[in-house]
Amino acid sequence: MTGATRTIGTGPGAWFGYIGSTLAGMPAAYRARLKANRRRTIGLTVLAVVALLYPYVNHTFLAAISRNVFPLPVPDDTVTTFMTIFAIMAIGLNIVAGFAGLLDLGYVAFYAIGAYVAAFLASPHWAALGLNIVFLGNVPAGSAGVHLPFWLVVPIAVIVVATFGALLGAPTLRLRCDYLAIVTLGFGEIVPLVFKNLSQVYFSLNLGPININLNNVNLTGGVQGINPVDPPFLPFLNIKFDAQAGFLPVYLGIAMLLVAVLVARNLEHSRIGRAWMAIREDETAAEMMGVNTVRTKLLAFALGASFAGISGAFQASYLGATTSDFFNFSTSILVLVMIILGGIGNIWGVIVGAVTLVYINSSFLPYLGQRIQDSAPFLPNPAQYNFLILGVILLLMMRFRPQGFLPNRQREAELSVAGLAAADVSLGVLPELDNVSVAPPGQSETGPDARSPEVPGEGEDL
Amino acid sequence: MTTPTLPPPPALPANLLTGQLDEAATLVKTRGIIKRFGGLLAVNNVDFDIPRGSIVSLIGPNGAGKTTFFNMITGYHTPTAGEIIFDGKAITSTSGKKVRSMKPHQVTGLGIGRTFQNIRLFGTMSALDNVRIGLNIHLKSHWWDSVLRTPSMLREEQDAIAEAMGLLKLVDLDTRSETWARNLPYGDQRRLEIARALATRPKLLLLDEPTAGMNNSETREMTDFIRRLRSELNLTVLLIEHDMRVVMGISDRVTVLDHGEVIAEGRPDEVRANPKVIEAYLGRAATAGA
Repeated sequence: MTGATRTIGTGPGAWFGYIGSTLAGMPAAYRARLKANRRRTIGLTVLAVVALLYPYVNHTFLAAISRNVFPLPVPDDTVTTFMTIFAIMAIGLNIVAGFAGLLDLGYVAFYAIGAYVAAFLASPHWAALGLNIVFLGNVPAGSAGVHLPFWLVVPIAVIVVATFGALLGAPTLRLRCDYLAIVTLGFGEIVPLVFKNLSQVYFSLNLGPININLNNVNLTGGVQGINPVDPPFLPFLNIKFDAQAGFLPVYLGIAMLLVAVLVARNLEHSRIGRAWMAIREDETAAEMMGVNTVRTKLLAFALGASFAGISGAFQASYLGATTSDFFNFSTSILVLVMIILGGIGNIWGVIVGAVTLVYINSSFLPYLGQRIQDSAPFLPNPAQYNFLILGVILLLMMRFRPQGFLPNRQREAELSVAGLAAADVSLGVLPELDNVSVAPPGQSETGPDARSPEVPGEGEDL
Repeated sequence: MTTPTLPPPPALPANLLTGQLDEAATLVKTRGIIKRFGGLLAVNNVDFDIPRGSIVSLIGPNGAGKTTFFNMITGYHTPTAGEIIFDGKAITSTSGKKVRSMKPHQVTGLGIGRTFQNIRLFGTMSALDNVRIGLNIHLKSHWWDSVLRTPSMLREEQDAIAEAMGLLKLVDLDTRSETWARNLPYGDQRRLEIARALATRPKLLLLDEPTAGMNNSETREMTDFIRRLRSELNLTVLLIEHDMRVVMGISDRVTVLDHGEVIAEGRPDEVRANPKVIEAYLGRAATAGA
């Protein structure tokens, strides 16, 4: 919430003033929080410091201990980097599924598009077509292929992915619930398949001046994918954020994660965030109160997808390669499980969910599998049954804590039976039947045939 | 809500009660509205005028088509045939046999606010945020303004909060602005819904059974409040109501629908005396409610 009223001027000067005063007000705000809830604030501070120091400590001490002294279930640098990658995606999916309540089962498509945009813009891939552009960056001039710096690739990936998000959103806007889920599911299946199969393209178009002739052109690298992709490179400090860079890419991931958090929070506490929540609560009422539901849902799709663009571009650049195998349906489900476990609708919750699941999936279960292989090789390897185990975790969560680790207050209330009962009590003032005659609940004013055949959902009783 | 003395109602057009209205004095005009749901003829050939500044009631037995009529004015349903003109602007357009209607949010933008028969607040949003949703259509900032927290967006939000608080004060809910809508008592929810509708800055306020489920004193308060809205905010009010005391006490004109057709129209006392109405509706309600 906005809190105390401040006078706000106009123009960019006022903007810097606002940002400045917000930053300047932070120590005071922190002290105020410390006063209000000392334990919680100190706890969170310690947690933040630990989280920030962890990648370094992990790389320099824990991993070494694990290697040389005693095997520990600690994540390696790649896993830690992937925690940030998935956390950014979870924040994005949380905008679509958590804030706006639109179930998206094909989120992996945007991740894939982000990765391929990065691969197209920073790899030798296009050299085969005779396209050689080197712009800034760490690549020597005259190298084969297209090479843009990572810092340019990310915004381009975000824009491209947001466009695809809007493209997917547009035809699905009239769909609700299950139908929407199925269409997004299809999109999530199609996109990686397209990337997999556009390796031998034959295409010819002759329209007067336009003369396009593609003969066995490899657009996407097919099954092999595209590699090598240029790693993110920080000039002046001369840092390459690739898989050999140890814990440094983790910090790049954390930096992008913080930006993602800031953007998502600003969106949540704004006009558009309120409109998303209203649509989630009651789409019809929102529309009647003047919310342009088409535009608002489209924005949710586009903005939510754009986060996956960051993740995808970072993933491809960090690993130095991309293949369509990275992007299967299970990744969509994994991200969805992350936000459900963490607490759908709560930004911090979905980060916790992402970190936990990536850890369990990529670090803890393989560790456990290794230990079991070492001592009792006849037992099944849990790493091979990771989705079974995730399913059990999900089931247990649904039974004992359906609202997730760090629940969103509103989502929690929508879930809880107690909350529903409370709502019934508050609505339960029965009409005085001697001077009003109302239709019994559930009986439509327009009769049982009220459903209009023309437009789905039109006959809903208001 | 508690105003012991009410200001006198504004002067109404002299020809209001005769039914002969000129264009400028008519806020809503419908001609030949028909709505079919499959085989059911919900609204049949309704011509209906709402004079500016008036309180008009739409009554009729259950299933008479009142709510369907409401839903067509607000753009939620598209009429099967006919035209609706609001404030000189056509809400429906006909090309060939196909009637097209404006989208509900566009109609809201023209200046029609409504409440619902079964309260439809955003339950887990605060009272203040519910009202701010109503204001949404008048806010100009874009999503990138929200991301960057631009000064214009922040100023707009401050103004919106001030306006929403003013509306909450009007309905006596300013002390409960942070309470979730679903946790408010029933009467408060009814008033909050009106505040949310007022936030869209309507010219016409549609109230769907605003006193349903209220006791006598609450009903009286609500009636006074509706009158106050008309006089203070210069609103035109169309209401669907089953409580005959409310209808007779508050309305300038009453229109009676039965089986989707207008069977009577006029001043409350005229309608009350109309034998057709007594047969279709009032006979029953009068014995039950008197």
